[in-house]
Formats: sequence, structure tokens, C-alpha cells
Amino acid sequence: MTGRFTRPLFWLALALPALLMLADFLRGAVLAMDLLHPSGEMAVRLMIAAMLAGPLAGVFGPNRFFRGWLAVRRNLGVAAFGYAMLHLAFYGVDMGLLAAIVDELELPSIWTGWLALAAMAVPAALSRDRAMIALGRRRWKAAQRLVYPALLLALAHWLLLDWQWQAAAAHLVPLALAWLALLIVRFNHRPSQRSHVP
Amino acid sequence: MTKTRALLLAVLPLLTVIAAPTAHADGNVRCDAGPRDTWRPLAELRKKAWMEGWTVQKTQIEGDCYEVYGRTESGQAIEAFFHPVTLKKLVVFRRGKEIFRAPGFSG
Repeated sequence: MTGRFTRPLFWLALALPALLMLADFLRGAVLAMDLLHPSGEMAVRLMIAAMLAGPLAGVFGPNRFFRGWLAVRRNLGVAAFGYAMLHLAFYGVDMGLLAAIVDELELPSIWTGWLALAAMAVPAALSRDRAMIALGRRRWKAAQRLVYPALLLALAHWLLLDWQWQAAAAHLVPLALAWLALLIVRFNHRPSQRSHVP
Repeated sequence: MTKTRALLLAVLPLLTVIAAPTAHADGNVRCDAGPRDTWRPLAELRKKAWMEGWTVQKTQIEGDCYEVYGRTESGQAIEAFFHPVTLKKLVVFRRGKEIFRAPGFSG
């Protein structure tokens, strides 16, 4: 992303919902438990926004819009992790005691959330140019693909807590459609077998 | 495909994400409680929850049920549904896992 003011403005836009949540919490308008849903949903939505850029750019070609989207993809991913950490912070405040948090670890709805956070932490920690250079592009990309199990675990965490599959599935559908479209485009543009026959 | 149409198609999945419905915890419980003017006051619900030995964090109306968020005596986070007229404890969840259901209740 270029521009002296564009990047800070973009980060501010990404941080705005978090600032509003914190403001509501600090002035006592809501409880920490009331912010578990909004912070978790923001994490999932930003993760999907980051993950949609690649397949959609593959379908529609690298025009200006998608070049811009791809350029902020890492910012979206890091912001998603930031919201996941905020979600964890609200959970910690809500639970109060470490012993209570440990006591809940055995519940599938809870350990899926912890695993999702762990899977997100790796790509988030490696979202720097220096990490890409150090690891090499191939290994760096492989590490970034951890966002896929992270997303599935996050959706499982959501589903097991709420038992409302529609809301969780609605978040998965756009990504599934984007990948399906990319597969169709690639299938239609694959070189014909016959063209290789001398 | 024109560039505009391509862009619109690209933005659609993103809009779906943004507009996706917000989830409400266990909002599927139904209590068949009837008209609200027959419901007992929320203060009585809080007292009922206190008598269970719970620390109440929040009480609210969820659909046609009363809902209590709180902690048990052993510190477990729970979400319980009560009938608004009888104040009978109907179902209790711990982080989405059902840990109590009143005999015969299928709502």
C-alpha cells in the first residue's frame, strides 16, 4: 500500500470497531461477555476478507482493484489476528480466573477456539517481508496456508458455542464460491491435451 | 465480461461476509410462554437464579424465554433458560454444551 496517509488511515479504519468496543466496555455500557461475539466475528470476517483476495484475483485477473486488495491482504490478516487477541482478552476478563479458563479447556467449543488462535498466530507472526526473505517464498506461503485450518477451527468454535449453523456457514460460503469460481476458470483455461500432440 | 461486471462479482462475496447475520447464542430455545403480560418480573428470575447458588451476570428476554448468564458455585460459566410464567429451569448450557434439561422439555 502506498501513500503517506493511506496506510495509517487504513489501519485506523481496521482498528475503529475495536476502539468502539473498548470504549463501550470502559464506560461500562457492556460487559466483557457481550463483546465476545462482535470481536470474534470481526476476526473471522477480516480473515475471510484476506483470504478472498487471492482466488478472486485469479478469477478476474490482476486489475487495479485486485492489486489494491492483494496489497492490503497482509494487513487484513494481521488485523484479523488482532481481533482474535481482543476476543481472547474479553474472554479472559469475563472468566476472571486462570483456573476457570483451564477448567473449560476440555470443552470442544473452547479448545477449537484456542487451536484456531494458535493456527492464526503463525501466519500473523510471519507477515513481514523479513520473514518472507528468511523462510523463502515457498515455505513462507506454506506457513500462510495455516489460515485455512484456522478458519475451519474458528467456525467450528463458533458453531459449537451457538449451534446456529446458518451464521457460521454464511461466512464460509463466499470463500467456497470464490475457490469454486477459480477452479472453473482454471479448468476452462487449461491447455488442451490435443495441442501437445505433435 | 466487462470490467464493471467483474468488479461487481468480486465485491459480492465480500458484501455477503459483511452482511452475514449476527449470531445469537442458543436462540433456538422456545418456551411457549404466551402473552408477556402474564410473565413474572425479571427480579423474581434473578432471585430464582440466586437460589440455585449462581452468581448472575446478566438476565434478558431471549425469544419467548427468560435467559440467565452466570456462574455456578464451582465457577463454571453457564447460560440458562427459564419459563417466564412458571420460572421453571428448562435448559442449561455450558459454552454451548447442554448440561441440564428439564424432564419432558423439548423446546
